[in-house]
Amino acid sequence: MDATTAVAATDTAIRTDGLGIRFRRNRGGRRTFKDLLAGRRRRTRPGEFWALRNVSIHVRPGEAIGVIGRNGQGKSTLLKLVAGVMIADEGTVQVTGGVAPLIEITGGFVDDLTVRDNVYLTAGLHGMTGTQIDAKFDEIIEFADIGDFLDTPYKHLSSGMKVRIAFAVISQLEEPIMLVDEVLAVGDKAFREKCYKRIDELLAGGRTLFFVSHNERDLRRFCTRGLYLDKGALVLDGPIDDVLDRYNSDHGTAK
Amino acid sequence: MSTVSVAYGDAHPLQRTPWARYRHALWLLTTRDLKVRYSTSALGYLWSVLDPLVMAGIYWFVFTQVFQRPVGTEPYIVFLLSALLPWMWFNGAVSDSTRAFLKDAKLVRSTKIPRTIWVNRIVLSKGIEFLLAIPVLALFAIVFRAEVGWELVYFPLAILLQTILTAGVALIVAPLVVFFRDLERAVKLVLRFLFYASPIIYGVSNLPSELHIWAAFNPLTGIFGLYRAGFFPDELDWFNVAISVAMSVALLTIGLLVFRGSLRQVLKEI
Repeated sequence: MDATTAVAATDTAIRTDGLGIRFRRNRGGRRTFKDLLAGRRRRTRPGEFWALRNVSIHVRPGEAIGVIGRNGQGKSTLLKLVAGVMIADEGTVQVTGGVAPLIEITGGFVDDLTVRDNVYLTAGLHGMTGTQIDAKFDEIIEFADIGDFLDTPYKHLSSGMKVRIAFAVISQLEEPIMLVDEVLAVGDKAFREKCYKRIDELLAGGRTLFFVSHNERDLRRFCTRGLYLDKGALVLDGPIDDVLDRYNSDHGTAK
Repeated sequence: MSTVSVAYGDAHPLQRTPWARYRHALWLLTTRDLKVRYSTSALGYLWSVLDPLVMAGIYWFVFTQVFQRPVGTEPYIVFLLSALLPWMWFNGAVSDSTRAFLKDAKLVRSTKIPRTIWVNRIVLSKGIEFLLAIPVLALFAIVFRAEVGWELVYFPLAILLQTILTAGVALIVAPLVVFFRDLERAVKLVLRFLFYASPIIYGVSNLPSELHIWAAFNPLTGIFGLYRAGFFPDELDWFNVAISVAMSVALLTIGLLVFRGSLRQVLKEI
């Protein structure tokens, strides 16, 4: 039923085959009960476009992959399909082991609950049990550096603090695959450095990284391999430097 | 890579059974709902009791003090509450299910838990509020000296049946509202109609006899009959219960099919 299934193969972290997903162009368009319940075999209707199509990749455990492309070319959608929070219309996604998604990370937090309750809620929804969270709690709070605000309702935190606490929780998940979607753009410089160090540690520990960014320096720093997406298609899959060079020559933003 | 988690004594999420993971996430979200509701209001628990009590008070006044021809059975306040409290559960869960995806859109978009949890946690948290309100019914039954019969054993059966029915309806409503926003208001209207079309302020026997068969096809009729059986054995009609069982199971099946069929589109839309 779910396109994201865990497989036992050990030489694969993520594998997608002919992955495709389509969206409606105009939200207000008319729709009928029939398209609503139609499965994946329905043909494309006018007013729909493919946000991603025919994307086949194979990622081995421990690889660090940077996803590159202009806005709206399907980068975040690819991450969401890998994270299993969206379901593909075509093709399959296989993910070995769990995923720690740093996508819309502050979204999982509830304004009216305290920071403490929120940490337990979000970590719990990502599969950690109460005792596992207890064991990690101090580390999470120390990383986020918000000790005095533990019992403050989440809504009273500054936006930087919100991201800090969210990053601290998700990066503590013991999952072999990490998905990072431009979350590092927020937060002050000191915290960003801390996040980079944390990602370095996780990579050194053998995690697989899937990284979306517009920041060339970050991409070169973490990634060894690049995926270049354009108009929903995978244009180039190769070493990160080649992919960045191609992207720059296509879009005239050479350094 | 995942050997570290063993040190904490619990298995990695993927090594637990799907059912254990489902329960874990369902319970987390249900308790969050209750916590948010009770931590942001001073009266907390009292609200979930106050609401049906005020309504019961109004109907008791109208039908026993204003109108001379009484409906239902004495003691009327117990008669009312024994259907009104379960009605609050049904009504609350179905009307909240219209916002099941919209209210928590960001959370739905960022976690991968089985999505029926987004609906079922509403049915569960409203159900828990209903259970917490049962002592009020017991109190009134004692104060007004309602006769209690052995039929009270049907109470848990009624709860089970209502859970199936409520989950079924909520699973149909929740995904459809994402596409047809008008449904949110339509559902409120239908619920208001259903309140008077169900035997809450009256009993089935108060209806003209040609309407009995129609009343039976409202699945709430059989369920409320079971709830009332302990105090008012005449309200129990096995024909109504049988239809109610069939309707509830059918609605749950339809609900699961609609939910599964529309999920892909729901995740794109929110």
